[in-house]
Amino acid sequence: VTAARRTLSRAEVDAFGRELDTLRAEVVADLGQRDADHMRGVMRDVHRLEAAGRLLLHVGVDPVSFTVGTACLALAKILENMEVGHNVMHGQYDWTKDPRLASQDYEWDHACAGEDWRRTHNFEHHTYTNILGKDRDVGYGFLRVCEEQGWHPRHLVQPLVALSLAFNFQWGVATHDLHVDEFLAGKMSLAQLRARARPFVAKVRWQLVKDYALFPALALWNAPRVAAGNLLANTARNLWTFAVIFCGHFPEGVAVYREEDTRDESRGDWYLRQLGGSANIEGGSRFHLMTGHLSHQIEHHLFPDVPAARYPELAPRVREICERYGQTYVTGSFGRQLRSVAGRLLRLSLPTRTARMSAAAPVAARVAA
Amino acid sequence: MTSLEPRTTGWKAAAATVARHLLLDRHAEFWLDQVAPGRSLTETRARVVKVIAETADMRTFVLRPNRRWTGHSAGQYTTVDVEIDGVRVRRCYSLSSAPGDQLAITVKRVAGGRVSTWMHDHVGVGDVLVLGAAAGDFVLPTPAPAKLLLLSGGSGATPVMSILRDLAARDAVRDVVFVHHARSRADVPFGPDLRALAARHPGLRVVLELDDAPDSRGGFDEQRLRQRVPDLAERATFLCGPTGLMARVESMYEAAGLADRLTSERFVAAAPVSRVADGDAQIVTVRLGRTGTRFAATSAAPLLDQIERNGGRPAHGCRMGICHTCTCRKRTGAVRNLITGAVSDAPDEDIQLCISVPQSDVELSL
Repeated sequence: VTAARRTLSRAEVDAFGRELDTLRAEVVADLGQRDADHMRGVMRDVHRLEAAGRLLLHVGVDPVSFTVGTACLALAKILENMEVGHNVMHGQYDWTKDPRLASQDYEWDHACAGEDWRRTHNFEHHTYTNILGKDRDVGYGFLRVCEEQGWHPRHLVQPLVALSLAFNFQWGVATHDLHVDEFLAGKMSLAQLRARARPFVAKVRWQLVKDYALFPALALWNAPRVAAGNLLANTARNLWTFAVIFCGHFPEGVAVYREEDTRDESRGDWYLRQLGGSANIEGGSRFHLMTGHLSHQIEHHLFPDVPAARYPELAPRVREICERYGQTYVTGSFGRQLRSVAGRLLRLSLPTRTARMSAAAPVAARVAA
Repeated sequence: MTSLEPRTTGWKAAAATVARHLLLDRHAEFWLDQVAPGRSLTETRARVVKVIAETADMRTFVLRPNRRWTGHSAGQYTTVDVEIDGVRVRRCYSLSSAPGDQLAITVKRVAGGRVSTWMHDHVGVGDVLVLGAAAGDFVLPTPAPAKLLLLSGGSGATPVMSILRDLAARDAVRDVVFVHHARSRADVPFGPDLRALAARHPGLRVVLELDDAPDSRGGFDEQRLRQRVPDLAERATFLCGPTGLMARVESMYEAAGLADRLTSERFVAAAPVSRVADGDAQIVTVRLGRTGTRFAATSAAPLLDQIERNGGRPAHGCRMGICHTCTCRKRTGAVRNLITGAVSDAPDEDIQLCISVPQSDVELSL
């Protein structure tokens, strides 16, 4: 897509914000039984898939039951992490007042501790989305994902680094909040790092015990098979979530922002930045569900605490508003967005001139090539 | 409000902690619910086994609770959670059964009452309700007073009936007068049971004050009560009924110097929240329950800012209502959500401090 983002007048920014606020209010007023039933239905599927997967892994001896069992377990983990955990922890279902859907209490089947996730993701990433130096999700502190980030020789190996992150994505996410880079740079003491790592260490211990000690032990002679199945399921989930999440913020056409331009943002400005910093992936309803509706990254960033299952019905209306205000709505097929991200990571591994961001039109900071 | 937390000790608590860390608790809960819907490891649930139409607008739901139910004393109430259009709503209902009998609540359909209407229209045999624990001090002292006056009106008969049934079950009905106020005979709940109890226990006298009786002046009549129960000064009195009835009985007892003989149960626990007018910046009081801090606040600014200005350091993040870090339990009072405009005025609701402005005196769990 070649599309410039039109620079809006103050009045237009405010009107844009109001239109999105109205849209949000409309959905919130309509939330009800079908939303609660949807989430409970997904949770039911997660339980069933996990039980089926574990049963096949534990009692089977043949490669077919191993493959099917691992696939069921991987599916269960993907759905639990993406549609249930991520969305529930955003507070999307707090309005139900169901203690099982309470954002502050939910703990997901993932190495990242829920309390760490709620801070780094819900607060830091969603508030400061794509602001260089503020949103640590822009390249996660070690990848160069946009021209505006300066080049460093270590970026030469970033395609390999990204590939290994893909396979170990849950560990990347879980250690994200430890700020290991600051420790390595001598800005944080070991004691501080230890204190920071407490929730992480506690969570990881239990997660490792569950998948690699308890369940294999329960399988007796089948222990190696169960451990292998769990490892494969976790890895499959890592690859899938990596792919979906990288397509949400790093394809071509997504903008980054400077801190000084975002200091006195109005609600409309914030909406514009969320839109500019996100990209959607096209697909069917099953695909959307499997991504936890992060395939609607734009809608998610505009309305992070609205039940994600509503994003598909919101998307055409959001897009219509964006088009009316001359704002690019970045979207594409999964394959295209993946190629776009891969191309960008490869291209930016080599030294290119660090792009300067124009101060005059922060919202239209970048024009997609 | 009572805790829904499991009462576990020793190895059970340890097992529950381990299960929670291994994320096995939710699997256990899910599969238990699949196999036996009434059962739960964390919630007190009860299956409706019978529904009795007491009057045109009062229904008794006979319940079979799971093992987490810890019993009740006659006259107590419990909380009942129901899900209406995806949202859990909680109400308190008095138990109408005696402690040893099958558990029962009796619910009057209140005009405009969401939960009572929903209970009447949607809850039937086989449905499962979520209960709290029994609570309340509308209970007989031990030993029970020798002479007793049970005074009720409308659905106020519910806890009183529990007390009466309990006395009957313990064969302790020595000298009890039960005076109940209703619009007509058709509006008197527990009719067959009351007749049977009166026939079996000579110490029980049941008096019905019906508004449609030819000699009735409608509602509570002090003269009449004194005529019917001449020795009321000697009786321990248990009172439950509509606000008007209760106020009149209370002032009568007050004037007669009998206030210490009177025990009352009020269904409306808290007085309705008096909200400030919209658009006005008015001064309200904010109380932080945990620290005991109390300060004057304005109804024009978010609670988070005002708490910080008064030395509090609550957890927070985005300050714009998206991250839910500052979500906190509001004990009492009304607040308005600046983004949605929605007002939360029920007790014990979670609110986002950064986008909530107080609309009345507020108590927070901070």
